Amino acid sequence: MIAEKSSKTIEVQINKDVLVVGAGKAGLGAAAQIAAQGYKAVVIGNKTTCACGAGCSKEMQEAGLVEIQDGASLVAIAGVAGDFRATLGKGEETCEATFGAVVVAPQYTSVALNSNYGLALNDKVITQSQMEALLADDAGKEKLINGSGSTVAFLSGFGQEGDPAATGRVLESALAVQKLENCRSYIYAGNVKVGGKGLERLFTQGRNEGVVCFKPKTMPTIEQDRDKLKIVITDPVVRADVELEPDYVVVEEGVVVGPNNLTIAQTLGIDTDVDGFLPSNNVHRFPVKSNREGIYVAQNDVDAANVALQVKSLIGDGVRTLTEDIAVVDDSKCVICLTCYRCCPHGAIFWKDGAAVISPAACQGCGICASECPMDAIQLGDFTDADLKSGVKEAVASVADATPSIVAFCCKNSALEAGEAAAQFGHEMPAGFRMVKVPCAGKVDVELIMNALVEGADGVMVAACHEGNCKAERGNIYAGWRVEEIRQRLENMGLNKDRVVFTTIASNMAREFACKVNEFAEKL
Amino acid sequence: MNSKTGKVMVIGGGIAGLTAAWELSRQNINVELVEKTCFLGGHSIGFTCKATDTCKQCGACSVEEMLANVVNEPLINVHLRTQVSGLEKKEGFSVSLSKSAVEEVAPQSVLKGFSHHNSPLYVVVDGAKDAPEEAVNIESLGSEGAVDVDAVVVATGYTPFDPNIKSTYGYDKWDNVITGLDLENIIRENGSLVRPSDGEKPKRIAFIQCVGSRDERLGNLWCSEVCCPYAMRMAGVAKNADPEAEISMFYIDIQNSGKEFPVFYERIKEDVRFVRTIPVDIYPLEGDSLELRHMAEDEGMPSSEQFDLVVLSVGLMPGMDTAKISEILNIPVNQDGFLDIPAGDSGVFVAGTAGGPGSIAATIAGAGNVALATMNYLGGSK
Repeated sequence: MIAEKSSKTIEVQINKDVLVVGAGKAGLGAAAQIAAQGYKAVVIGNKTTCACGAGCSKEMQEAGLVEIQDGASLVAIAGVAGDFRATLGKGEETCEATFGAVVVAPQYTSVALNSNYGLALNDKVITQSQMEALLADDAGKEKLINGSGSTVAFLSGFGQEGDPAATGRVLESALAVQKLENCRSYIYAGNVKVGGKGLERLFTQGRNEGVVCFKPKTMPTIEQDRDKLKIVITDPVVRADVELEPDYVVVEEGVVVGPNNLTIAQTLGIDTDVDGFLPSNNVHRFPVKSNREGIYVAQNDVDAANVALQVKSLIGDGVRTLTEDIAVVDDSKCVICLTCYRCCPHGAIFWKDGAAVISPAACQGCGICASECPMDAIQLGDFTDADLKSGVKEAVASVADATPSIVAFCCKNSALEAGEAAAQFGHEMPAGFRMVKVPCAGKVDVELIMNALVEGADGVMVAACHEGNCKAERGNIYAGWRVEEIRQRLENMGLNKDRVVFTTIASNMAREFACKVNEFAEKL
Repeated sequence: MNSKTGKVMVIGGGIAGLTAAWELSRQNINVELVEKTCFLGGHSIGFTCKATDTCKQCGACSVEEMLANVVNEPLINVHLRTQVSGLEKKEGFSVSLSKSAVEEVAPQSVLKGFSHHNSPLYVVVDGAKDAPEEAVNIESLGSEGAVDVDAVVVATGYTPFDPNIKSTYGYDKWDNVITGLDLENIIRENGSLVRPSDGEKPKRIAFIQCVGSRDERLGNLWCSEVCCPYAMRMAGVAKNADPEAEISMFYIDIQNSGKEFPVFYERIKEDVRFVRTIPVDIYPLEGDSLELRHMAEDEGMPSSEQFDLVVLSVGLMPGMDTAKISEILNIPVNQDGFLDIPAGDSGVFVAGTAGGPGSIAATIAGAGNVALATMNYLGGSK
């Protein structure tokens, strides 16, 4: 990261223990990786797999580096990165413990998607897991061979859009069935998700062994009449209906979020994606970060390693250097209206002794709170209102009188990068174009934009990250609203509202940014 | 403890190498980052943003950010225009470095980096005219001699499939048949999507998937994983820029893009016509248009359609240096020609697409995993 000009730093002692919520394979795997770095991992949740198998060796457990509280759950959490105070519950009892970081390893639920096909499960209509169980031992295989062999139809990708992991299971089973004496496999697939290591090879091997794969455009019609099954599709190549009367129909299983997923997300104050999975779909969080500092998400072994890296960077030797004045509340102005608390995307704001307090351990310095505070009680150390205003003044003053001046408030994560690149690559920009660096477009408030107009800017541009790409999740959305508000005001005053515009841009799109700026200048 | 020099060599400066180097440096480990070409960033630093006002999670901006991290990190020592030419296993490794051949890394006499974080930004070969003032002579770049390190991370990446191998698509003959990578360059240079022959906005655009991937005849029995998401995102960009554009995508099976894929796929179906067939060949028509012949999906009969621009989704092939690297570092190669995972105690690690296809997001995650494994091998950070 590029160092900011700031400021006052303090060293704080932080807790070196890590709480892992979720005792499945991913949670125990993360605990093992964390323990291997010398930190104690406390794992809560319902243990669904052998701890040693997931990497938590006996030595680790005996040394107290991994402590598994089977069946315990997270009741509540307070505090911030380095000092999370968790309330853990088991049955009627609760206890308190402090942790430096929290890892969520969400548990997923596997559901058979038979009802999506209008099928009822029985001994002929079975799930993928049941088929795998049959193929796992000789008795199951005998049942499938059943003298003259069975015809097995696998359904994949119609009940729910598939994925490589599920597809891999279907391909493995279909091939295994095909190899049994006199047995035949048919796969009815939407899209065959071969986008995973070795899957195309497995798919080809299956076809070479005689597995037939149909890819009808729509979900196949399946008749289930007691023991009799019939699948009908229209084959595009032969342009005729193709019927199959299989002995078994194997329906795919879909993955849905576990029952506690949302509760855990709400308790921890972290965002989910549209499907309810953790964390939110924001590239700046990939692979394991959440919107809150010190809270991470692990779903597999690779995530577990990345979580360990994050934990190591955060906790280190147990001392963390913090910048005290990233964002500071003037308690003489604060009326505890809780606006800042509600709009903070990072869970960094609390209240104490009659005023809001911003934790430097959790604050990311986006400035959304400072802009939203109705009392103007919050200032950012690196971007005070006075600094920004003098930046605007200088920007306008540096443009020659006859040249139209454009002040662009540029998010340092995107537009500022694109603007600097445009300058370095020599892309043509209007002579009067000046960038004012902001930590996030969410820091740009109505007053600041009006100030630019008052200072004499002919045009004002607020340049943010694309929706869904904001490091502060919603800073760009706040900025868009504020620009819209000003445009309305200008229009109501009979002024040209197009003097103020909002735009979004990515850091690596110098030419596109130059085009947007030039277009704006021309319209002015 | 395998830590003697306190240094790790990372070979390859694409997103995998950058991420591995950055994660190691964050744990106070010195990194010697070796890049064959004159610029860090690999293929993905050239990718454009795929947002259609809303972010589509392509990860291109993450590469930009990672590059900025690396060039500002004093613990990472960057060797541009440098190749690994030998390796001796001692207590750790003694790695011989040599300068990359000019003709191999400088197709033109003036080279420009993709990102403003590239330093230098311009490189010139002797005698070139019209070079920007700040350009650096290629002769001043490159390291030679032996460097001692404790561990080696191989992140030598992939090579895009050569579309000329599928000669019936006429990539080398028709201006408006381009690859996805060419399209990235066009958008970067122009700020918008135009076709090469006349700089006009194309109205009818075709994407052909699986060019070089999933091809039994070529022996390429793997899915390149990134091309479906890539082409769908690019189609979304094209449609967003010009709602009148008609976009068709010829495919075998549509692969997932990551989180929230079903939502993304449903939405893109409104903008793109998906045709489940792989076209046979392409012929030029008057006015720079192209005729694309394929088996019609519903009739099972030969059919042809006209397009202004055809984009070939070329697959990810094993990196061109894979065989050499495999030999020097004694890493096995898998049946597809990508590097296998070396033994855990060998001190050699493989990150990114050198080991097989993967998206930017998957590569970043995988490189983090490799960085941790490397640290564990060294016996933890100091």
